[in-house]
Amino acid sequence: MNFIRRVGLSIVFGAALSALNTAAVLGAADVTPATPQPAAPTPANTPAADAAGADAAGSPSDVRTLDQEVQGLKKDVIDLNKDLFVLQEELLFPANTQVAVYISMDVGAFFALDSVQVKIDNKEVKNYLYTAREADALLKGGVQQIYLGNLKVGKHELVAFFTGKGPMIRDYKRGATITFDKGVGAKYLELKITDRVPKHQPEFLIKDWE
Amino acid sequence: MLAGGLVLAAILIAPSHAAAPTLIGKDAPDFVLRALDGRNLRLSEYRGQVVLVNFWARWEGDTREQMRVLDRINTTYLRAGLVVLGISVDEDVRRAREFAGAMAVSYPILFDDGPDLGKDYMLQKMPVTILVDRAGVVRYSVVGFKRGDERGYLEQIRELLRE
Repeated sequence: MNFIRRVGLSIVFGAALSALNTAAVLGAADVTPATPQPAAPTPANTPAADAAGADAAGSPSDVRTLDQEVQGLKKDVIDLNKDLFVLQEELLFPANTQVAVYISMDVGAFFALDSVQVKIDNKEVKNYLYTAREADALLKGGVQQIYLGNLKVGKHELVAFFTGKGPMIRDYKRGATITFDKGVGAKYLELKITDRVPKHQPEFLIKDWE
Repeated sequence: MLAGGLVLAAILIAPSHAAAPTLIGKDAPDFVLRALDGRNLRLSEYRGQVVLVNFWARWEGDTREQMRVLDRINTTYLRAGLVVLGISVDEDVRRAREFAGAMAVSYPILFDDGPDLGKDYMLQKMPVTILVDRAGVVRYSVVGFKRGDERGYLEQIRELLRE
């Protein structure tokens, strides 16, 4: 029921948005020819010319008011767009089913990341190839949202396979698994690649952010 | 019947070098693919440069000739800011890699064996050559290749590099 109400709301927003867009376009079209007039020191500032011009394009104060209205409408359109985006996110990934998976890398002296495959409940949900620039961004402390999806409440299993170059620049592939409980709130998981210095090996962990 | 015959005749007579207007003027769909040398390359990372993307297939007769032409263009315009990417759409990646290795061109050859990229770029016939401007918009698209087509490529490349 809540879902239907939200869909209805988004349709209303959509209709309002298109109406506002039309109004903004029409308003802009009306104002454009008159916009330079208030500042221009031309004979149009004389009372006679003002009176003549008032018929054609309205007085400068009218133009300013109209311009402000158009600016206000444009702001409303931007605000509505923002609300629509939030609504869309809420509809596509509602908090009660949302699962977000992030990836981070610490140090990375023993592992050069090439790709990550994520499986949830034995179904591949993401297969991501990393460019050198992206891997470098992770090494510098960046955190990437690698997957955003929906899951039912209950127990689930996530398996992540990390492929790249390991110690001695040899091909390296490792997996990490986590079984987690999806509750009524959003679930956040983090794939962490760290260095195990004593063993000169990379370590792959999955952290469940409660 | 006559109308059907005329339509068929028009299709047969139509030049194979028809542009793909559906992509021109639109943002080039992004992709990340593995290159022959093992690197992963992403199209959007070349934003700010002019990119020539050439989709090719081993079985297409003019592929070798076109790759030689693109190799010359790459070496000439590399320093001017042009990026040439060759993308194999061959399902047999192993044989495509052998072919690309034997051609030994100076620009990166990438390998796509999934269905998504072909759909995104509306590939129907090989080869397809696309020019993407500095803003990431497809500006030129040609299906097929015949000797002399490089003149058209160069004209467009120079225009985009000047922008």
